[in-house]
Amino acid sequence: MAAGEAGKAVRIGRGPATVIGSSSRQPGHPPLAQRPAPFARKGEAGSPWRLAGLFCLGRVSRRNRGGFLRKFLPSRLHPAAFAVLAVFTCAAAPSHAQSANHSSTEPPAFREVVDELGRTIRIPQQVRHIVSLSPSSTETIYALGLQDRLLGDTDYCDYPPDAQKKTKVGGATNPSLEVIASLHPDLVLVTKLNRLETTQSLEELGIPSYATDPHTVADILSSIKTLADVLGAPEAGASVAENLQHRLDDLQHRIGDLPPKRVLFVVWTQPLISTGQNTFLADALRHSGAVSVVNSSQDWPQVNLEEVARLQPDFLVFAQSQPGNASREVEKLATLPGWKIIHAVRDRRYAVISDAVNRPAPRIVSAIEELARQLHPKAFAEKSPDAKRDTKKETEKENPPSRPLAFAPFSWSPPHSPHGHSTSAGGCLCGR
Amino acid sequence: MRPLTFRKLFFQCFLLAVILFFVVILALKFGAVPVSLYALGRDLLRVLLGQSSQISSDYGLIIQNIRFPRIILAIIVGASLSVAGTSFQALLRNPLADPYVLGVSYGAAVTAVLGLVAEPHLALPPALAALFTPLCAFIGAAATITAVYFLGRRQGQIESNTLLLGGVITGYFLSAIIVFLLSTVNSSNTRGMVFWLMGNLSTSFQKSVYWFLAAGFLLATGVIYASANDLNILLSGEKEAMHLGVDVRRVRFVVYVAASLLTGLAVSVSGAIGYVGLIVPHIIRLIFGSDHRTLLPTSALGGAIAMVIADTLARIVVAPNELPVGAVTAVVGAPLFIYLLRRRFA
Repeated sequence: MAAGEAGKAVRIGRGPATVIGSSSRQPGHPPLAQRPAPFARKGEAGSPWRLAGLFCLGRVSRRNRGGFLRKFLPSRLHPAAFAVLAVFTCAAAPSHAQSANHSSTEPPAFREVVDELGRTIRIPQQVRHIVSLSPSSTETIYALGLQDRLLGDTDYCDYPPDAQKKTKVGGATNPSLEVIASLHPDLVLVTKLNRLETTQSLEELGIPSYATDPHTVADILSSIKTLADVLGAPEAGASVAENLQHRLDDLQHRIGDLPPKRVLFVVWTQPLISTGQNTFLADALRHSGAVSVVNSSQDWPQVNLEEVARLQPDFLVFAQSQPGNASREVEKLATLPGWKIIHAVRDRRYAVISDAVNRPAPRIVSAIEELARQLHPKAFAEKSPDAKRDTKKETEKENPPSRPLAFAPFSWSPPHSPHGHSTSAGGCLCGR
Repeated sequence: MRPLTFRKLFFQCFLLAVILFFVVILALKFGAVPVSLYALGRDLLRVLLGQSSQISSDYGLIIQNIRFPRIILAIIVGASLSVAGTSFQALLRNPLADPYVLGVSYGAAVTAVLGLVAEPHLALPPALAALFTPLCAFIGAAATITAVYFLGRRQGQIESNTLLLGGVITGYFLSAIIVFLLSTVNSSNTRGMVFWLMGNLSTSFQKSVYWFLAAGFLLATGVIYASANDLNILLSGEKEAMHLGVDVRRVRFVVYVAASLLTGLAVSVSGAIGYVGLIVPHIIRLIFGSDHRTLLPTSALGGAIAMVIADTLARIVVAPNELPVGAVTAVVGAPLFIYLLRRRFA
């Protein structure tokens, strides 16, 4: 009984403080100057609760140390745990609202939203301070033009380049809860990249976390829209989603009638790891006029090379962050007896796209377009009337900004030219 | 010591070689791509008659270029690990010793992971790039072997317990470094690295690598076999061996280096595959006795058989996907070993 009240007391203490802090803060002020340390904030949260808070942090960090390998296990979030959490949050709800009324003149300080894992979370009406725990959420926030609200992101958040300058809270699987807490976010954005323990610890600290979990490209678009609503920027969300949908429709219009290319998406070569059919990656391949030859229900199956040699994919598809890696990789594979008998390797038929395809964020549409251009060059050749296959590269290099640029300052041109790094091998556009 | 009858050695080896032959045939037949025994026999006959150019069918190419090299790799790795395990168990006079007990696999893994991180940034020619990771792994294994050797040396000679503890601690230290590396490098690379650490035989190599591995295996096993008598005497105790005129220091050094070389070669091409080096020597000992003059060749054959079976299972159980072969060796090896152990003492 006492323990339950203790939990509430901490929450009550923290709830209104967040509202006061956020409403009184001016845009230009540094976030930390306005606020006291997380556990010494209010008189009512006296020393026992402070100790409890510290204990909870300590326990969390100890958990983190052992959890390295969990990264590689499927992080299925337990529904029962969320049910308990949801009940707990609801039980705490009325007292939140009351104390909010005392300290603030704007009547409803909080609202409840349901995230993509079905969890009900309580967030302030105005979400002004966000921490992103995955590269895809970071990219989405930039695409929505809400980057000023993003206070912190992870070490892996490298796009757009500006995201690297944000306060780093650590990796996706082992973020520093202390740094997150010190940023006083209204909301933390999580995905399946993150561990359940992280969201639970955030919950214990009174920081709500909103999970996105798209499984298809359509999911990604609707997920962006919903997130924009949650963050209070529905117009930006609608415009981003509409633009992406328009580009996908346009692509579909160009390549919809063409037979899909059979491809092997290469995650890793030795051993060969590809992607299964239930991932958003496989769906992205379908959108770019390709179909993965690997038929597996696992998300990241280790595939037998014999099977690939039997299926003989038309193309290998690499997702690379650094240009040039893929051509070296293919040259390397072409020296090996086991890989040489795969015709796509022998004939150097491969496509290289940005590793944005690995992230369920708006940029995935650019990656889809890149892949479609490489797999179905003829469908894109009609723009320049006398374009032959040889001159196509140049024409494309000349007008990359033909892609719609709807929302400044976020540029949609891919980080490198789609064909720039396959020219050395020269084979990826041949005759297909 | 009973005199070694060549008939006995020949009989045991012949028996195991026949088993290995049939296991290899079955391993060639089963896989993601179905092959009939008839087609297999016809193509084998053509290879034996020197008409391998007539094999042009798709499955023939697959077997020739993927499945057969993989089986050869399994044979070499299995035999190497098994001989290394036998040697370490005798050398350290500890039944729990296995090829990885001295931290060799972790040393190989550290440099392999570093190699995987560094390789994209070095503009290596393709043929060398394909060999880069195994080379790094072997360098790491060799460095660890040397370091542990000096850790285990006291007053100019190796001491079993110091060597064992030094190796175990080195292993822990290096595994901590691996965890550090894996949690700091970019997440998209770690997936492949973890698969590498779990051990797998699916890697494809240039033909010369197989010849190199086979030569290294024969050389190191030959060196150990030359000390087989001394290892037998060493089993009865160091002092006793010294009194019987065995140069314990020299035997230790030679067997240590040769067994570590075998482990390093195996680890650099397959990652760390557990249990084979521990269990196969024990099983062979339970069946054929513990005379190292027969134990070394028979456990080499036994290790090869075990590894080919394990790898075939890894290939076919969830085909067309694969299991890590280390998981198969553990799941199949441990119960088999317990069964033999209990039956022996029942």
